[in-house]
Amino acid sequence: MTLWELHKGGTANISHLCEHLDDSVSTRLVEMGFETDQYIKCLRRSIFSGPLVIQIGDCVYSLEQALAEQIFISTSNNN
Amino acid sequence: MKKILLVGKPNCGKSLLFNQLTGLRQKVANYPGVTVEIKSGAMGEYEVIDFPGTYSLSTMSIDEQVAVEQLTLRVNDDETELVVCVLDATRLERSLVFALQAQLLASKANKPIVYVLNFIDEVKRFGHNIDIDGLANELGAPVYALSARSLDGIAEFKNALLNAEYKNFNPLVPKIPLETTKEVVDFSRALAKTYAINKDVVLKNQNKVDNFLLNSLFGSFAFLAIMFVLFQSIFTWAAPLMDGVETIIAGMAVFITQFTGQGVVTDFLNDAIFGGVGSFLVFVPQIMVLTFIIGLLEDSGYLARAALICHKPLSYFGLSGRSFIPYLSGHACAIPAIMAARTIESPRKRLITMMTIPLMSCSARLPVYALLVSVFIPSDVYWLGIFNLQGVTFFGLYMFGIVTALIISALLSRSSITDHEKSEMPFIIELPSYRLPHWKPLYHRVINSGVQFIKRAAPIIFMVAVGIWVLGYFPMNASLEESWLGSIGHFVEPIFAPLGLDWRYGIAILMSFLAREVFVGALGTLYGMEGADENIAGLAQNIMNDGLPLGTGIGLLLFYVVALQCVATVATLKAETGNSKLSWGLYAAYGVLAYILAFLANALI
Ligand SMILES: Nc1nc2c(ncn2[C@@H]2O[C@H](COP(=O)(O)OP(=O)(O)OP(=O)(O)O)[C@@H](O)[C@H]2O)c(=O)[nH]1
Ligand SMILES: [Mg+2]
Repeated sequence: MTLWELHKGGTANISHLCEHLDDSVSTRLVEMGFETDQYIKCLRRSIFSGPLVIQIGDCVYSLEQALAEQIFISTSNNN
Repeated sequence: MKKILLVGKPNCGKSLLFNQLTGLRQKVANYPGVTVEIKSGAMGEYEVIDFPGTYSLSTMSIDEQVAVEQLTLRVNDDETELVVCVLDATRLERSLVFALQAQLLASKANKPIVYVLNFIDEVKRFGHNIDIDGLANELGAPVYALSARSLDGIAEFKNALLNAEYKNFNPLVPKIPLETTKEVVDFSRALAKTYAINKDVVLKNQNKVDNFLLNSLFGSFAFLAIMFVLFQSIFTWAAPLMDGVETIIAGMAVFITQFTGQGVVTDFLNDAIFGGVGSFLVFVPQIMVLTFIIGLLEDSGYLARAALICHKPLSYFGLSGRSFIPYLSGHACAIPAIMAARTIESPRKRLITMMTIPLMSCSARLPVYALLVSVFIPSDVYWLGIFNLQGVTFFGLYMFGIVTALIISALLSRSSITDHEKSEMPFIIELPSYRLPHWKPLYHRVINSGVQFIKRAAPIIFMVAVGIWVLGYFPMNASLEESWLGSIGHFVEPIFAPLGLDWRYGIAILMSFLAREVFVGALGTLYGMEGADENIAGLAQNIMNDGLPLGTGIGLLLFYVVALQCVATVATLKAETGNSKLSWGLYAAYGVLAYILAFLANALI
């Protein structure tokens, strides 16, 4: 599933980034903390499919749907 | 001069540290992407250089590329002595990713690097202790813990730089810089696990506040309320201060002219100096109140949230949530706002934002708004019993500018002027911790805004006032209508007749293409000359007695909302877009649109 499908309060681990993503964008995302196995928590979702707010590592980011849909997560092995 | 480079991730306190080291006053604010241009200043025999923050050294947009290329160039510069990488101690993991990349860059250029562990005051407040020596050994470079805000450790750090003490540092094991992104990211994570403050402690307060301010219902309400208070307070809070300034100027006029007796000198002082220049000084308090409120918002950490709240609505108009911050700062002045648009990821959205920023009511329009609003709107009427109607009208004028900008953005984004790029960085923004404002810089900024406003506009207004006065005073003893100025005025009158305005307004509007504030000064001089014995400070009263119709007045207001009467803005647009035709085209197009709106208002209301 993708990050966009994570509900408020839900936690997961990053599985991988969509391979169609522009190289520069995916490198940037990795540097911002979106790397495989990183623990991620959805802090909130906005109405009308607005950007969601997530915590990853020690940072809180807000990102829009188009981007969140390119980030794949797995909810199986988290605490 | 020997150079020291200040680098680090966005919002880690580089510019505040730069200010503390050099004594300068670079813009500091609590959102990522404040600094967009490289700035340098002197510290002893060194030149310190403040860079825009980036998350990494691999680049995304063209502008980031420019920043990173600059950095690479500077690091390799022979004059560069040292790279100082600033770390945010409350966001250690993210800071370290950039830090390790910078280390590689510095070592390739054979330049030493030191680390500053900033925000140590906050770390202490959370009751945490960071093992500085341990971290320094792991990084293989000296680490200085300090707070650029509370000044803890600043003096020691400055000494270490000036005396090159950092050269004495010997790591236990020499550090080999990491090459790949994966290594860098993994090592940052490992270091953060050992040394960083528990992130849940840091983020707890922030998340609590966000529960309110980002709540779908309450958050939208809070957003609208903050915007309303912002625009309403420019009017209400400044009113007593403005009355004060007005009284002082009137008092000075009476006091000084008693020594000059009757004649040309007194006439000149009364009309051109106190009537012309004085009538614009009255508005300085408003500029300062506006700067104060924008400063509060910028330093609180709320702006990144506002960008998030606005992202979805703005995207319907072809803009990004990141357009919000340039739009907001455009209400102080369009020039820094157009530069701030550099942080917008998508080139298309950035261009549209830059093209529409001039529609935000900048502080130079305040005098015009304030004057005309006080002429047409009674001061003692309250809307719904609480909101002063003059304040509400002010809000309406600001909204009119914003709505026009949104409509034009929507049109532009559907047109082909802005070419559709294939790869665009989607919207992502870091939400910083909330902080109480840093009062001292805010105070300086507020004072400075007033001083700059006077410095910039006063000479032009002075010259225009003197010019108008001379043209209007001669030939001696002729009435204003028959003066040289009157003849010029009657020549241009046909242009403004469709707007319902007579030649005096025509002259004032033409002059205001030099700078908008000139409108008030020029009109002040003209009215001062007409009624030599009236109260010179009461320009609004004079216009009221003249009986300008409401529709004409509204037309005039709309004209000033839309017209791009600022050559400096056009120059900035030209520099940032690299397109001279586009910039002057906007100047003309907004002028025509303003004229049409004024015409319609005059004809229909
Ligand atoms: N409490 C505390 N706040 C700090 C400290 N250093 C900086 N700040 C605050 O952090 C925010 C960001 O500071 P800036 O100096 O603008 O950060 P920057 O690194 O220049 O940011 P960019 O120009 O966007 O890259 C401001 O609100 C500062 O007041 C510190 O040591 N302690
Ligand atoms: Mg900065």
